[in-house]
Amino acid sequence: MRPEDRKYAPTHEWAKIDGDTVLVGITDFAVQQLSHGQVSDLVYCDLPSVGRQVEMGETFGEIESVKAVADLNSPVSGEVVEINPVIEEHLEVLADDPWSEGWMIRLKPTSTDLGHLLDAAGYEKVVAETQEA
Amino acid sequence: MERWRLLETWGASPELAMGLDEALLDLRRTPPTLRLYTWEPDTLSLGYFQRCADVPDRARAGAARRPPPGGPALHHAGELTFSIALSLSHPLYRGPISESYRRVHGLLLDALAAVGVAGRLREELALHSDREGSGMCFAKSTDVDIVWEGRKGIGSAQRRRHDRVLHHGSIKLAGSALEVGIATVEGIGEREFAPHLVQAFERGLGIELVPGEPTERELAEAALRGPHYTSAEFVRRR
Repeated sequence: MRPEDRKYAPTHEWAKIDGDTVLVGITDFAVQQLSHGQVSDLVYCDLPSVGRQVEMGETFGEIESVKAVADLNSPVSGEVVEINPVIEEHLEVLADDPWSEGWMIRLKPTSTDLGHLLDAAGYEKVVAETQEA
Repeated sequence: MERWRLLETWGASPELAMGLDEALLDLRRTPPTLRLYTWEPDTLSLGYFQRCADVPDRARAGAARRPPPGGPALHHAGELTFSIALSLSHPLYRGPISESYRRVHGLLLDALAAVGVAGRLREELALHSDREGSGMCFAKSTDVDIVWEGRKGIGSAQRRRHDRVLHHGSIKLAGSALEVGIATVEGIGEREFAPHLVQAFERGLGIELVPGEPTERELAEAALRGPHYTSAEFVRRR
């Protein structure tokens, strides 16, 4: 089971309340999908500038692997107040620790209500459905 | 029987080539579509996030652009280009990304076999065409790439946005000065190869490909989006 201290979007991002901010990252499943199990397959991650306003569901960045470029979609609305400076030069952190060291952006949300997102059990179902080839 | 739309846009300008692909990706009412096209003029695609300095031979190409699907640089010359626009819930793309490549590449291998080319997935094979430092797609391979004669002959990449996917690929029918030592089909033109690809998709997926035209909405979106990908500012952004 994935961490229960956060909520999940069906597009494989997570959101975790941290004080009056929300940390956002992508799940281990998203990393696995993109990297094909080889972290060296991840080649670039484009994150937004601090100060940018993002709406729930809006693309805030993009991640590229050897075989695919995927959007990063914001699970909540708010202002980007910090980005993880480690990500761009050390994409391996996304594979090593997507839940903590691999956070991508910190948002000052318009609301800390994450009720529209999935809990860990709900996200497990999304993963299971996605894996059904 | 499932019906897909078949679009053929031969001699597409770089703006139309990319603008229409992005429109097919983003317009949610787009039906399942296989698009086949060629480029006029020959065009160098830089990777979406690739630095210009990563492609030493870029100055030898004519037009340049950065396409949505990503991947390393690619010279669109002497090739049949395809794009597939689908929902990610379609069985062709459900599940792991690598598996979707295997399914699509299986169809391409059938088309190659129809013209006498015995291709295969690279798997663990070491390729003569792999080389470091060029920044070119055909000089870098993965285990699911299509190869023959020990060289990569088809390059492809996916762009996934929300619940849709655009899978874009290049089937090399002739070499280019920027892509030496790669595998090519040879002896067949783009429009002659196209029916083999169509038949492979129809047989392999159990679908009917119905020839069609881009809608007015798709063309309008393509006209809006296309110039962005070839603008000097965007191409030189890194």
